[in-house]
Amino acid sequence: MNFLQTLLVRSVYAIILLTAVLILNFSMMHLAPGDVADTIAQANGGADAEVLEAIRAEYGLDQPFLVQLGRYIGNVMQLNLGYSFYYREPVTELIIQRLPATLLLVFSAQILALLVGVFLGVVSAQKPNGLTSHFVTFIALFGYSAPVFWTGILLLIGFSLQFQWFPVAGMRDVTIDGGFWIKSWDVVVHLMLPMITLASVFLALYSRLTRATMLEQLRTDYVRTAYAKGMPHLKIVYQHALKNALSPVITLAGLQFSAVISGAVLVEAVFSWPGLGTLAFTSILARDTPTILGILFFSALVVIIGNLLTDLAQRLVDPRIGGKE
Amino acid sequence: MRHVFKGLMTATALASMVATASYADEPKKGGTLVTVLGSNVRNLNSAVQSGIVTGFPGAQLFASPLRYDENWEPQPYLAETWDTSEDGLTVTLNLVKNAKFHDGTPLTSEDVAFSVEVIKANHPFKSMFAPVETVETPNAHTAVLKLSKPHPALMLAMSGQLMSIIPKHIYGDGEITDVKSHARNNENVVGSGPFKLVEFKNGEHVILERFDDFFIDGRPYLDKIVMRIITDPAARAIAYENGELHMGAFESLPRIINRLKGVDNLTVTPDGYGAIGPLDWLAMNTTKGPLADVRVRKAIAYAVDKNFIHKALMQGTANDSTTGIHPDSPFYAAQDGYDLDLKKSAALLDEAGFPVKDGSRMSLTIDFGWPGVKPQVEYVKAALKKVDINVEVVSSADFPTWAKKMGTGDFDLSWDTVFNWGDPVIGVHRTYDSTNIQKGVWSNTQGYSNARVDELMTMAAVETDDAKRKALYAEFQAIIADEVPVYHTNTLPYHTVYNTNKVGNPPIGIWGTSTPIDMTYLK
Amino acid sequence: MSDLTTDAPNISQSPWGQAWRRFRGNYAALLGLVILTTIIFVAIFGPSIYGVDPYEMLWAPFSAPGLDGFILGTDYLGRDLLAQIIAGARVSIIIGLSAAFMSVVIGVSIGALAGFYRGWVEEILMRITEFFQVLPTLLFSMVIVALFGASLPMITFAIGVVSWTAVARITRSEFLRIRELEFVMASRASGTRPVKIIFNVILPNALPPIIVQSALMVGSAILFEAGLSFLGLTDPNVVSWGQIIGSNRQYILDAGYTVTFPGVAIFITVLCISLVGDGLNDALNPKLKER
Repeated sequence: MNFLQTLLVRSVYAIILLTAVLILNFSMMHLAPGDVADTIAQANGGADAEVLEAIRAEYGLDQPFLVQLGRYIGNVMQLNLGYSFYYREPVTELIIQRLPATLLLVFSAQILALLVGVFLGVVSAQKPNGLTSHFVTFIALFGYSAPVFWTGILLLIGFSLQFQWFPVAGMRDVTIDGGFWIKSWDVVVHLMLPMITLASVFLALYSRLTRATMLEQLRTDYVRTAYAKGMPHLKIVYQHALKNALSPVITLAGLQFSAVISGAVLVEAVFSWPGLGTLAFTSILARDTPTILGILFFSALVVIIGNLLTDLAQRLVDPRIGGKE
Repeated sequence: MRHVFKGLMTATALASMVATASYADEPKKGGTLVTVLGSNVRNLNSAVQSGIVTGFPGAQLFASPLRYDENWEPQPYLAETWDTSEDGLTVTLNLVKNAKFHDGTPLTSEDVAFSVEVIKANHPFKSMFAPVETVETPNAHTAVLKLSKPHPALMLAMSGQLMSIIPKHIYGDGEITDVKSHARNNENVVGSGPFKLVEFKNGEHVILERFDDFFIDGRPYLDKIVMRIITDPAARAIAYENGELHMGAFESLPRIINRLKGVDNLTVTPDGYGAIGPLDWLAMNTTKGPLADVRVRKAIAYAVDKNFIHKALMQGTANDSTTGIHPDSPFYAAQDGYDLDLKKSAALLDEAGFPVKDGSRMSLTIDFGWPGVKPQVEYVKAALKKVDINVEVVSSADFPTWAKKMGTGDFDLSWDTVFNWGDPVIGVHRTYDSTNIQKGVWSNTQGYSNARVDELMTMAAVETDDAKRKALYAEFQAIIADEVPVYHTNTLPYHTVYNTNKVGNPPIGIWGTSTPIDMTYLK
Repeated sequence: MSDLTTDAPNISQSPWGQAWRRFRGNYAALLGLVILTTIIFVAIFGPSIYGVDPYEMLWAPFSAPGLDGFILGTDYLGRDLLAQIIAGARVSIIIGLSAAFMSVVIGVSIGALAGFYRGWVEEILMRITEFFQVLPTLLFSMVIVALFGASLPMITFAIGVVSWTAVARITRSEFLRIRELEFVMASRASGTRPVKIIFNVILPNALPPIIVQSALMVGSAILFEAGLSFLGLTDPNVVSWGQIIGSNRQYILDAGYTVTFPGVAIFITVLCISLVGDGLNDALNPKLKER
């Protein structure tokens, strides 16, 4: 199948998947005790039975479950994710406001983890039992084994309080006047600590897998022949061995998107990063059902897009690869 | 050359003397104040949304008829002068003539009348304007409030964030109850306050800038206010220390308060929260089982050590409170309180018919509405264990679940923080009024009912003589301290943090930041 | 990782015996196993040996580590931090083990059925697996716990129900590979009942990577629980490591040890689990250095 066909098939498939996600989440929120009417009523200081009935009627909560589900899905198709009672804003707007911040964090962390992880993996594969290799393993295992929020707090104390190299919270300093470049740099500075924190978790995975696959590659006949022919060492490593070794690593990276988003929720909490994670947290605390559903939906969407992009990257790295698994 | 040099020196000396002189005397104009909001703002329209988080930006965007100084004396604001009739049933407000909304439209008494309607219909505090029957508008700058009974609480209700005057020509385009979810509550917000809205980014910040046509000449002093939203208290603390924030209010974590007190260029003050009147307390559901017996409630009070709470949990940052009225209020009448006395507690429990059986006298549950009070809840559990009461901590994952439990009386004990909101009629009556039993969270969720207390509150609500009112509330406080449906332990130690070298005239009057900061300036 | 020492192949030793010898030679993995055993020992017997009630307010709050007989100091209510960490070990490890167990059961079942039956069974099961893979795990668990209550069983369920996809994939992969091997084809041809083939023939051979993955999952379940606790979604009547960190988060600026120690506890536990998992991987799959 050529590229466009694959893209089309994947997209249709993605839509089906997303619909399934919607149905599951919607059903789950329905199963739970209490409903949206309660939430609204409580926010207004309590209400008696008739007011609750009125609220239910107004929001269509007295309809049978399937009708509500159908309406919700229909709305989502038109990009209407409902209205948040807590924030008094349409959910879609809320999410659009916060989504870029999370995307920035998630993708930059993945890229950093991949770049550094692969590099470390390659380095340690060349001297598998050397000191560097063990050191790399140790650093990588630290990032993986330490709870990500703990790492974040430690980095915060170290680099924001002790050495005041980085700002303490948020995504930008609004008091800065300046053009596009100054403002972008400001965001980059704020992004540093959260990005490093989140990347540290996945560094381990990527570096270890790279090391393993590189070791394999370096033992193949193909590589041995290249050495015998007198090709420069670095060229062999980075151009030949690495290209083949990268494929499983990229696959792994694609599979990690869901985990990266989970990590992002915690990192956002530590650094007050204004993304979907903090929005999710406040919405859950406020039982803001429409927003929660919206966020779950969008997170799944981000994962699917991440998977798609990973597939693209796969093809770039190794055009022979046509399908999944 | 020497002459020139000497001349220059003298000139410089003179200039610096003049500069310092003016530095000390006059507020400087200009600059951007960077401050903080500790939780997410949901709505900028303080006429329909209660809470201190909306109150800060709300009071800058919208003006109210009155404002109060630090001595609890009302000062003119939108109302130049005001008048209450002999029988207390008519309150006349004479508005300033030059007040404009941010879009240039003049503010008139129509807007005042409209705002009262909107607040009555949408604001959660029903008791503020319940006695207001109509608002007459004989001319553009006079508003006459007609009351069904005398309402001394009205004065405080017309200040701070409680009576924001909103423009009728913007919010009056639909049903009165639609204002609650009006699109202009979060964007393009237009009021007549000293600052207008530049940008509101949910979860990130609120940016305000000076309204040049503000009706008080020469004010406000600041050019811009940036309210950053930082929900993590430790992050805020770091930001104060490294200068990222100039000022912040409602800091309540004892460790952080004490830490910031030790920082050189920061001033940390408990002033400014008298009218907000935040109180911590242990609520006891008098309709449930053993708690219906006042001896059991007293026993619990004797077992929960206030001293420990003040010293260990609050680390000396909070003040004692013995009644439902905040100690800073003119109506406060201190009571004896319940010092730690485990023997007395045990004796009372025995007397009430709850002896120790198999190591425990009874089992109770304790709820709490937000994670910040978890230490207090855990303390109560440990404290009551010492008199053999088993306490199970119930955690509700979200606020509405807890609110519903409280509102329907589905709890034994609960730790809570409740505000007085200025006049006892607004924030205190709701807790003890027997007609307000279990009508949602922060009502009389304890199911308390005492005829004399009801009577006292009804009389105090309409009593216009200050001394008589104080006496009524004194008796009220003595009774509720004795019957203890709610065990008052301490005030919530709200503090305002600000950079001593940068911030002049920080908002530390009785309404804290729920008041216009048009007199604040950057040094 | 450390070098593998390979013994001269001893034909009379079973594959498991050989694996154990390989594992034994891996010093890092061995160290991890020793530490892990100590931790588990402490979790089981610690509360009885150390005897201090983690909920009792014994002393002044925030007593620094080492003072007044409190090795790790006291927390905001004056409770012994060491007692809390010991008690927390039990909860965190139990949740870790149970959630991992649940994930493994679900994952192996789905993977085995998919890998064995192929065809439309495999299609459906794989779609379901993909579906759960796409779900944002932490968010979904947060919602479950928030909606249905933060009790230990519910938390375990919330973690287990989103973490099984990796096991399912590996199981299916192994089954696909093994079912084509000669001795398996022989069983299938001879008409043995599928259940027997799955459990007696294929599964035992598929175990090595599954075991490795399961071991690692205990570690990630512990981290998962820590994350939920940090955000406040825990049972307030029990102590877990993540909860200690979450409750003490606001004191981090000047009583940082209350956050550091439980963090170190989690870190060491998960690190050792990873080392053991790695050791198992190297030991059980000497030829496959990748996963």
